[in-house]
Order: sequence, then C-alpha cells, then structure tokens
Amino acid sequence: MKFFLKIFIFVLPLSEAYAEGQKSAGLPQMNISTFPSQLFWLIVTFTALYLFMWKFVIPRLSTTIEERKDKISNDINDAENLNSEASKILENYDDKMNSASLESNEIVSSSKATMNEYLDKLKKDNEIKINAMITESEKKIHQQKQQSEQEIKKATIDTIKSIVSKYVETVPSDDEISKKLN
Amino acid sequence: MAADNPIDPIHQFEISKIAEMQIAGIDISFTNSSLFMVFAIAATMTLFILGLSKRSIIPNRMQMLSELSYNFIANMLRDQVGDQGRAYFPFIFSLFMFIFFCNFIGLIPYTFTVTSHLIVTFAFAGLIFLAVTIIGFMKNGLGYLRIFYPSGIPIFLAPLIVPIEIISYLSKPISLSVRLCANMLAGHSILKIFAGFIVMLGFLGFAPLIFLVVLYALETLIAALQAYIFTILTCIYLNDALHPDH
Repeated sequence: MKFFLKIFIFVLPLSEAYAEGQKSAGLPQMNISTFPSQLFWLIVTFTALYLFMWKFVIPRLSTTIEERKDKISNDINDAENLNSEASKILENYDDKMNSASLESNEIVSSSKATMNEYLDKLKKDNEIKINAMITESEKKIHQQKQQSEQEIKKATIDTIKSIVSKYVETVPSDDEISKKLN
Repeated sequence: MAADNPIDPIHQFEISKIAEMQIAGIDISFTNSSLFMVFAIAATMTLFILGLSKRSIIPNRMQMLSELSYNFIANMLRDQVGDQGRAYFPFIFSLFMFIFFCNFIGLIPYTFTVTSHLIVTFAFAGLIFLAVTIIGFMKNGLGYLRIFYPSGIPIFLAPLIVPIEIISYLSKPISLSVRLCANMLAGHSILKIFAGFIVMLGFLGFAPLIFLVVLYALETLIAALQAYIFTILTCIYLNDALHPDH
C-alpha cells in the first residue's frame, strides 16, 4: 500500500511537469520551424543511402549470392555425376561377378561331366576285363571238373576192377563197368 | 521549466541546432536529427562495407548479416509484389535499413530518434503514396481507378463502397506515418518516464527497473517490428499499384 502511495505521490508532480512542458513548448514534433531542416537532411542522407545501396551494395550482394547458388548447383551436379558413375561401376562389378560365377559353375559342371565320363569308361573297361576273366576261369573250372570227373571214373573203374578181380575170375571190361555205373 | 526537468519525457525529442545553415532564407541547420540520420546511414554503410569487404562463398559474420537482410527484403518483395517489384528493390531495401537503424539507434539512452518525428515518417509515407499512385496510373492507365471499385460488388453498392475506398486510399499515408511515429514517440516516452521513476524512488527503484528491462526488450522488438511493418505495407501498396485487380 505504502509503495503504491509513494508512486502516486511521485507521479503527481511528474504528470504536472509533463503538462507544463507541453504548454510551454508544445510537442517538438509540432514545431514547424524545424521541418525544412529535417526534410532537407532526410533527402540528403536518404539519397546518399539509396545511391549507396543501388550502386554498391545490391549488385555486389546479388552477384555473391548468385555465385554461391551457381557453385552449389554445380557441386550438386558434380556429386550427382560421380554418384551415377559410382553406381555404373557397381553395376559393372555385379555383372562381372555374375558372369564369373556362371563361368565357374560351367567349369565345375563340365569337369564333373568329364570326370563321370572317365569313371564310366573305366567301369566299362573293368567290367569287360572282369567278365573275360570270369569266363576264362569258368572254362578252367569246367575243364578241371571234367578232368576230375574222368579221373574219378577211372579211379572208380580201377578200384572196382581190383575189387572184382579178387572175387571173380573174369574181370569185366572198362566199358561194361562204366555202363553199370551209369 | 520543462527543459530543466531531468525526467521530462518529451525533452529527448527536442531538436537542437548543431550548425546553422540557410538556403534562400530557409533554415536548414544541421541539427541533432540530421546527425542521427547521418549515424543511421553510416551504420548501414558500415554494415555493408564490412559485409562486402571479403566476398566469399562461405560468408563470415558480417557478410552473413548483410546477406540475411538482403534476402529478407528480397523475399518480402518477391512474396508481396512478384518479379515486377524488382525495379523498386533498392528503394525498399534502403527504406528498411534506414528506418531499422533509426529506430535502433534511438533506443540507446541520450540519443535522438529520427523516426519519432512525424514530418520524417510523413515524408516517407507521402513519397510512397505519390510514387505508388503515379506507378499505378503509369502501369494501368485509367484502369487504376478500379481499385476504388472492387470486382464482384453489386452496382447499387457503388455509391457506398467507392467513397469508402477513396477515403481508405487517401488515409494510407497518414496511417503509415502516424503508426511508426506514434510507436516511437510513445515507446521512448514511457522508457524515459520509468527511467525517471528509478531515480526518484531511490531504494524502491528496483521495481521500475525490472519493468524498464522488460519494456526495453519490448521496445527493441517494436523497433524491428515497426521497420518491418512500414516496409511490408510499402510492398503491399506497391502491389496494389501494379496489380489493381487483386
């Protein structure tokens, strides 16, 4: 409360002084005698500023800004070109990789085929050899069998002859024995 | 007397002669107002001379500032007027920088605010009004009069609409100049009054001091905003002159 009272007390003479000042001198803004001087110096200073801006500042600033714009767009263009080049190189690389892998697959499959061929041939050769060997050995076995059969027959006949000769006078001939045996 | 009062809020707007000058009997003395006009253009020129001294692709701070202000006004003009406004860019750009620096320099204590004087803002607004009217008639001939009768309005409303449009058109320079001048005048007066309170209240002066800091921030905003408003309204008037059909 005291604070506001104090402000009020001080504002009162102030506003009176303000009113008095207005009465005695008026607003300086309304003092017509100063107008020519203000207008004259306004024209002088503003014209100077206008010429300075028009002839000096604006051309320089606009060229600087244009140059920067050009530089930026050029740089962006360069970057785009480099980017496309890089992607082209990448494409090339991918293509090469693909063809290389295709080639390697081909090589693998062809070598597999030749290997299989070789194996097949080897198998066939071996089979033929083995078959020949089998038939030969079969023949041998057959011969051996016949031979041993004949030998067994002969031995049997001989045995029978010797046994019969012990009990009987007349010894039958080989033919007769073999006929009976069969 | 008011002039002796240390907290007279109007004192800061008084014009005092620095050097007497006369041309054909007319007093054109170099005053504190003229001095601060010179300060404003000197500040603008310093900004751009420093900003343009080393023009590089990657800008330094001053170059950044000057390019920022250039792009700001260029975009404003392009958005409001389009490509036809290009010819008026030097004027719009100078106008903005001048008002901007006048407003800001005026915020420094013990300085003078050029734009707080109605004659200065009215000189700008009157020049813009005349120029816009001349451009309007030059580009559109008598077709420029269409701006007083917007399309799509029934004919029986014309006696009502046309005078209103004419009055609003003629009041443009007044509203444009009074807006800027009154903002500067009121803002700086209030700043001065509250600064006076700090001294008068002694120990309790911290309360108006806090208020003054907040107010000063607001005034800084207003200084920039009023320069912006003045410029964008100029662009809008220019657009009306170039495209009266819209």
